[in-house]
Amino acid sequence: MRVAPFAAVALIVLQGTSPRDDGQWTMPGRDYAATRYSGLSQITSRNAARIRPLWSFSTGVLGGHEGQPLVVGSTMYVVTPFPDVLYAFDLTREGYPLKWKYRPEVNPTALGIACCDAINRGAVYGDGKIVYNLLDGHTVAVDAVSGRELWKTQIADMSQGETTPMAPFVAGHRVIVGPSGGEFGIYGWVKALDLTTGKILWTAHNMGPDSLMLARPGRGHYSGDANIGVSTWQGDSWRRGGAPVWGWISYDPQLDLIYFGTGNPGPYNTEQRPGENKWTNSVLARRPGDGSLVWAYQFTPHDSWDYDSNAEMILTDLVVGGRMRRVLVHFDKNGFAYTLDRVTGELLVAEPFANVTWAKGINKRTGVPIVDTTKTTGVSRGNVQDICPSLEGGKSPASPAAYSPRTGLFYTATNNLCMNFEAASVTRIPGTPYIGATTPYFAGPGGYMGAFIAWDAARGRRVWKIEEKFPVWSGSVVTAGDVVFYGTLDGWFKAADAKSGRQLWKFKVGSGVVGAPISFRGPDGKQYIAIYAGIGGDWLLLSGDVRSDDPADVRPPADFAPELARHTSQGGIVWIFGL
Amino acid sequence: MLAACGRSDSGGSGVPPSIRYPDHVAAGGNQPPAGDIKNPLASDSANASDGSKIFSAMNCDGCHGGGALGWVGPSLVDGRWRYGGTDGALFQSIYYGRPRGMPAYGGILSPGAIWKIVSYIRAQPVPVTVPTESFK
Repeated sequence: MRVAPFAAVALIVLQGTSPRDDGQWTMPGRDYAATRYSGLSQITSRNAARIRPLWSFSTGVLGGHEGQPLVVGSTMYVVTPFPDVLYAFDLTREGYPLKWKYRPEVNPTALGIACCDAINRGAVYGDGKIVYNLLDGHTVAVDAVSGRELWKTQIADMSQGETTPMAPFVAGHRVIVGPSGGEFGIYGWVKALDLTTGKILWTAHNMGPDSLMLARPGRGHYSGDANIGVSTWQGDSWRRGGAPVWGWISYDPQLDLIYFGTGNPGPYNTEQRPGENKWTNSVLARRPGDGSLVWAYQFTPHDSWDYDSNAEMILTDLVVGGRMRRVLVHFDKNGFAYTLDRVTGELLVAEPFANVTWAKGINKRTGVPIVDTTKTTGVSRGNVQDICPSLEGGKSPASPAAYSPRTGLFYTATNNLCMNFEAASVTRIPGTPYIGATTPYFAGPGGYMGAFIAWDAARGRRVWKIEEKFPVWSGSVVTAGDVVFYGTLDGWFKAADAKSGRQLWKFKVGSGVVGAPISFRGPDGKQYIAIYAGIGGDWLLLSGDVRSDDPADVRPPADFAPELARHTSQGGIVWIFGL
Repeated sequence: MLAACGRSDSGGSGVPPSIRYPDHVAAGGNQPPAGDIKNPLASDSANASDGSKIFSAMNCDGCHGGGALGWVGPSLVDGRWRYGGTDGALFQSIYYGRPRGMPAYGGILSPGAIWKIVSYIRAQPVPVTVPTESFK
């Protein structure tokens, strides 16, 4: 194992900007930079084999348990999938009993508008409040001590296909939220709410005229041509062009910029939306105060393959090409890992981290992919074969990566799936799916369907890889003990040596893992790791018969992964592990 | 009941006044007054084929999956029914929608088009392996 020589430099820089680890986990990505790095070090690569389960709790809900708990002070907060129950556990008492639970009223109609299971990606803490989204298009703030509802704001419109499973983000006094609905022809946006009142302060669309995109001349250095959110679309197709915001948000307080990815253009049939379709499948940098668009970069112009860019944007400082740069690192569904200058959006590194057939590479000067046009899809192109990655992505945005300043490496779940793609014309009926494609999957080269990898984002290369039988769909956490944790769809929770990729420990948690682990310090001063078990999200749709609670819904095994349902059924369990 | 609310488009190709579910357990053993309705269209491949096209054109496959095998919505080809599998129950599910996400298509589809979807769904074979899934 080669430890990157710039690791020491990166550590110094990070210490200059981040407070000492306080043992809490108060926002989805652990810190503003979304590193999912825990500075706790009691669990190490030497003692990880002694990790054992200490506590578990059934959430009472089946379905995709994506996202992560929060730990604030001596309380752990857990949000379930629909109906979006919020549990507050008292970590100071034996058995971690509930302090309270909050059971919001959520419109079950949302179940038919959420594309891919009724998931929730978690809450955020700010100013004494736990803030999270309900699936039916509302954001709520709950008093972190009493569990009392403080405000509830409608942010999304289900009649237009919008639902809200993403985890909100707090930057300063702003709560940043966005919708799902890339498969429903929404008109994608982000909004900022006042943390105290829940009032909507600004709404910024991801395409359309500059006035609606909040692309203001003279503000920041947004260099796009005027009204590029209209001119890169045919007619008014931008009005139903998708670009949802269902992933993760990060924030650089020094630059005062938030960073987030946008999802796919709709519909999947490219021939109904000629043009580059900006800013779908892009990263956008905005001012949290007024929403102004400062810069944007599109990873996959005129998307042919549902390559959403909602994955996390991890912020750090790296030496790239001999210069220290303030960077943003992003693992895209399209199979390339990108390192961008986060001040300007300049592309620094773009290399494949998964098997890629749709493009031969990314032109570093223009930032535009070198597309293999034989892989371009559309109704007139018929059934296009052997496209890699599949539309599940080289990595799912639902599976956030982690970054260790100690090793200088990024750690992420990946999928090794390919697909065929047959597009169809589709009509938008508000509130119903707007897709237009049939896309069977199959395993990529090597036959394994997933891997957990370590990535050097300065050089754009993989450092180590752990192959897994099934796609890997969990988030990850890496610790100052140089241990990295992740879960598998067949229900294992695993620890590996962050330097070498050597597997250290595993435990079967009862259902497939699609959540993201956290590490925290308990009131007793000890380091703990928490993770959800509960297969779902896309895997509710894809796994075949993993659902056993409905006698009226019996499915055959997944054709590309017939063994998966042998190892897991749906579940909903919170686990805590420790030494 | 709907007729009492002023709706008069019952019978024939219109909307039935209400539908009886033969599978329901009736309190006291007495069925409430209601009609059993049958698909007025012939059970032939032409109607099923038209229904297949409508199933796709109205984005039903976006939730129930290609071939109605199940996706985010339940499978419609496993011989199992959450809200009843009779002609009338299927019509009602499509026309009025159902809780937990099934949209009401009565406002945008004619009763005739809904009956074609019913024809398509009921024409699908139920796999013999439904109750037991064995792993080798």
